[in-house]
Amino acid sequence: MKYFIVVLSLCAFPALANVEITGSVEAKCVIQTNKSGVYGNPIASKLSTTPADGGVLPIVRYDVSIADAYTANITHPTAFSSSPTLSDTVAWTGSTAVTQTSVAGMSAYNAAKTVVGNSTIFNLTLAGSTWFSTASSAIYGSAKPLPGGTYTAVVLASCIAK
Amino acid sequence: MCWLVALRSSIIIAFLLWATALSGHEMTPAYPVIKLSHVKDVVKVEMSLFNSREEIKYYQIELFDLNWTNIPFSTTYRIIKVGYKEHKAFDVYIRKYDLPEAVYLCTTSKVKKSLVSSTLISSRICSRLDGKPA
Repeated sequence: MKYFIVVLSLCAFPALANVEITGSVEAKCVIQTNKSGVYGNPIASKLSTTPADGGVLPIVRYDVSIADAYTANITHPTAFSSSPTLSDTVAWTGSTAVTQTSVAGMSAYNAAKTVVGNSTIFNLTLAGSTWFSTASSAIYGSAKPLPGGTYTAVVLASCIAK
Repeated sequence: MCWLVALRSSIIIAFLLWATALSGHEMTPAYPVIKLSHVKDVVKVEMSLFNSREEIKYYQIELFDLNWTNIPFSTTYRIIKVGYKEHKAFDVYIRKYDLPEAVYLCTTSKVKKSLVSSTLISSRICSRLDGKPA
């Protein structure tokens, strides 16, 4: 019996198989929220996310896997989504800029951006990560002091397939 | 030599912690395939959403034409709940009649009211139904 097992084990070939690993890279956009902004209140009638005004700029990061497949459309606020009751108008200003890039060529995005109304459009022509910051400022009508309370506004960060 | 290895390890750990601290919104595919549905004259688009934004729980599905006008569509829920670090697959049904006009299929995060004066970030990702650009 022992000899039989030894003979059988010699006859047994190791089982070999090639296991393939396949994968594909497809166009994909991920919007990462690095930092939500905070409004500073440098004077009674003004709220601003600018650090010089005591605010914090909101920062979003776009990761795109394929070059020239998406545009980044970032819209700064033109109204509060929640606030105390306001009896006068609010003058809004805002802007969006590239602050950091993973590829050196992306620094050209700032010069090539287009601004339509309160939206800033960046053509994401290179694969990789781009960080954008949005400045937002609201000044209450006729330099009136803003009523006390919590003010919230929304920045819309869109990644749109071309 | 050891201190160099330790320094390199701590840099890698710090980077990993920083990377995992990020929160994101992801929707695929960018150019979905239009499939036939079980309903006559209605097509189906299969999409996938991934939420790694801890502060976000709900996403709204929308369909637009080239001029960002809403196009009618059907899905199980127009506002879907997607937990933190959760993948969610969803189907969107479009009438064949509306398909030539349908261009952007988007998901938009629904933000919650904040307790401090702040700017909240709503993220929107849009796929194109009319195919890849030539």
